[in-house]
Amino acid sequence: MNRKALSLSLIALMALLALFPLGIAQADEDCEFADYTITLGGLAPMSAPGAVAGGVAMDWAFAQAAADINAACGVEIDGAHYQLEVITGDSEGSPERGQAVAERLILEDEVDGMVGVYHSAVGLATMGVMEENGIPTIFSEPWNDNVSANGIREFDGAAPRFDDGIDHIFRISPTSSMVGSVVTDWLIALGVQDVILIVENTDYGQPAAADEQARLEAAGVTVSQIDIELGTEDFVPILSRIQARAMPPDAIRIVVTGETSFNLTQQMAELGIAPTPETICVTNQIAFQHVQYWATVPDGNYCAFNRVGIIPSLFNELAVELNTGYEEAFGDIVPSFGMASYDAVWMMKDAMERAGSYSDAAAIVAAIEASDITLTQGRYYFDYGAHNPDLPEGTPAYMWHQWPDPIVTVMQYFEQGQSSLEAAVVYPEVYQTHGSAYIAPGTSP
Amino acid sequence: MAFDLNLTTLWLLFAGPLWAAVGLLLLPRAGSSKSADEAIPATRLQIAGVISGFALGPLGISLFYIAPALIRRATLAAGIVLAVFLASQALVRVTDPQLPSVLWLLLAGPLWAGIAAYFIPRQYRAVEANDDNVLTAAALGGFAIGPLIFGLMWKHSPKISRDWMIAFGSLGAWQIYTLFAIHNPSNPCVAAPFHITYLTQQTANGVVIGTIYSLMAVGLTLIYSVQGIVSFAHGQLYMVGGYFSFYFLLFGSDALSRATGVEISINPILGIPVAGVIVFIIGAVFERVFLKPMHDGLIERVSEYAILITFGFGFFIEYTTLAIAGPFPQRTDRFIEIRRFTFPRTQITDDFFFGPINIIGDRAFAMVIGIVLIFALLYFLQRTWTGRGLRATSQDRQAAAVTGINPTNMNTLSFGMGSMLAAMSGAALIPIFAWVPWVGAEMVGRSYVIVVLGGLGSVPGALVGGIIVGIVEALGAGCHPDPSRGAAYKEAFALVIFALVLLLKPTGLFGREQH
Repeated sequence: MNRKALSLSLIALMALLALFPLGIAQADEDCEFADYTITLGGLAPMSAPGAVAGGVAMDWAFAQAAADINAACGVEIDGAHYQLEVITGDSEGSPERGQAVAERLILEDEVDGMVGVYHSAVGLATMGVMEENGIPTIFSEPWNDNVSANGIREFDGAAPRFDDGIDHIFRISPTSSMVGSVVTDWLIALGVQDVILIVENTDYGQPAAADEQARLEAAGVTVSQIDIELGTEDFVPILSRIQARAMPPDAIRIVVTGETSFNLTQQMAELGIAPTPETICVTNQIAFQHVQYWATVPDGNYCAFNRVGIIPSLFNELAVELNTGYEEAFGDIVPSFGMASYDAVWMMKDAMERAGSYSDAAAIVAAIEASDITLTQGRYYFDYGAHNPDLPEGTPAYMWHQWPDPIVTVMQYFEQGQSSLEAAVVYPEVYQTHGSAYIAPGTSP
Repeated sequence: MAFDLNLTTLWLLFAGPLWAAVGLLLLPRAGSSKSADEAIPATRLQIAGVISGFALGPLGISLFYIAPALIRRATLAAGIVLAVFLASQALVRVTDPQLPSVLWLLLAGPLWAGIAAYFIPRQYRAVEANDDNVLTAAALGGFAIGPLIFGLMWKHSPKISRDWMIAFGSLGAWQIYTLFAIHNPSNPCVAAPFHITYLTQQTANGVVIGTIYSLMAVGLTLIYSVQGIVSFAHGQLYMVGGYFSFYFLLFGSDALSRATGVEISINPILGIPVAGVIVFIIGAVFERVFLKPMHDGLIERVSEYAILITFGFGFFIEYTTLAIAGPFPQRTDRFIEIRRFTFPRTQITDDFFFGPINIIGDRAFAMVIGIVLIFALLYFLQRTWTGRGLRATSQDRQAAAVTGINPTNMNTLSFGMGSMLAAMSGAALIPIFAWVPWVGAEMVGRSYVIVVLGGLGSVPGALVGGIIVGIVEALGAGCHPDPSRGAAYKEAFALVIFALVLLLKPTGLFGREQH
């Protein structure tokens, strides 16, 4: 490349760069922003072995929330308007990597709060980092009970995570126990006697399966568990083992996330193991992403799945708007972790405004505890925290700093290629859309 | 049954003796590398090897291997005490009426394997007999028939053909199966009358998926045999092959549908050659631009360069694909509309039946594609001038050049073809698995195992290695005593076979010695 061409290219590049901030300023020309930009760290799995599809959805939701907040003149504290930015850190779904990224976000990027996290293992590993550094945090997807329970009780031999009177960790996703109880209650209500749990070998899968197994066995159901590693593609040998049983199981429950669950469900269907008239197929919540589901599980009709988050028919205006944006970007329905990630950023903004500070962690935590805001998933509030530290007897420890109202339902497809918007909600009864607790293969509701 | 087949017992009876044999073989080598002043008597090293291997496994062997000077009487004495203690624990645990068979199969078998593997090859060399395959045959024979192996192999030192190894291997496998049956009577792999059907089902599962594994591994071995490098981009080329097929089918079907006004769906089989051709070009261009300088002597540290450049190429492909295709899983239509082939249940006698055997339709089809492609490759390599040129280059580059073969072109061809085979296996599997940009990671790890197992550079070795890995994984997952853990350990079973082959036949099943 000659000197002239190089100079021209440089000039063009600089002109392009100069236009960039201009564009942003123009978009927000009605708002007078302060010099400081409030930053939040967003932890999400953006590369394998994490659930990348989930991470991409969360990253999109963070960016969408920040854009919507900035378009509404940012975060207003004491009359000043601050722009808000979410810096996404790639946890890769790994606890070690998650910890390193959380430290980098806190120490190098100096974020004012943290949101996100998909994998329970990452949540459990990073909560100590946030606590140590006094960073208010709202987790939007990890399910492991101990993520919130560890605020008030010992966990794996470690003392409760806060010793200065302030627990910085909150969660707005359901706990494994909340999800498990709905699925197991449904199976028990259907009268199953013999269930196989196929479980991923992770900090999400194992405790969730243990919880479901305990509930089912307490109801007299025989439970067998099969562990698998995430990323496995071929399940035929182990599925052949299920086929070799003298009697087929009444239900197979898949406690496996991501594309691994798609491969498993499809192979199960191809081999004629489930769904069948004898065996109920209960797959992972990601089946709600119907475009992905039908692309990869073409034989998965009549599989049921647990759905976390508000059901489409109950979407409020904000949720509809978010869903429209998501459909434009990805051609699918916004997943619950996308909605929760969007809401987490808004909740942080709301708490900072009410606390009157973006840096006073104690004030922000107190403000989050006192949250009462309706966003895409409904009304957010926290029953238990420093504002109400005494959990009544019988209340699970995981209710500490836990949003109590995530909606968990069991849904079921009953037509090939069906949109999840049209799939039947079969349980709990109060949300049933087709008047049936289960749609047997080959039938219609 | 009082016998408790838990991890500790397995260690004491199975892994302990096996590591003792490894220690016996390895530790004398550590001593031989020392100067005369530091030399430690070989006998002491052998004893230390057996004791440390039995008592502490790889930890003890590594410790003495790195620092043989640690072998002092006190250390040995402590080791002996520990070994005796562990052995007595083993005896205490085994209070089963089947004690003799258990002791033989788990304790004496591996021990005799180690002893035979150590002494018999030396005898062959002492009488100046051909010692090819003797180590493997002696170890397998020692495991299968114990001291009788000395009667068979010591005195006459017969030439060891592959038949010997197959016979000893089969006998050893039968003994392991017997032991397994004693302790897991309700396991579907041994519980009559269904076990034959079940074993056939799992073997069929293994052969089907193993053939598909082979196709990918063949490409890797082709590149290695000609260029002497391992392509760390192979998994990503496999992945991108699937995506090329996917997009060809997507856009091709769309274009045809619009042109004809009728909805047309192109069969995924047509995506296979398309993906192969595109990736062949990508691979060939990459070789010309980035690997040729290495062969031209322009790169100083060739091995490191080859690793880094192919690794980087793989990263580039993966993240570019992620940026273009996104992280959401994809899959093409089926090859055939038959969901599964079923061999029906057949009553052979009043007490015995066979079947049903189920094979997923698309997998069976992909297996056929794999076999056709591998045999086409073998035909190309054996019967065409260019193929012979590739083989000649893999054997001796300079001699090949003298005969008029251009080694530079052969390098490009081998990398292009290796990449093409990876891509074609990807295109053959995208109708079967959910496809994401990181889908190659699991598959490529298995391919490395297969090519080393089959013998680096051997195409038939890759085929056989792939099928062995497929069968071992299927039987391992299907027969594991604890059904809840079988699937989680699936890949580990292949690695055990891999480790055993490396120990007994470091060149792999079909590999040739490097001179």
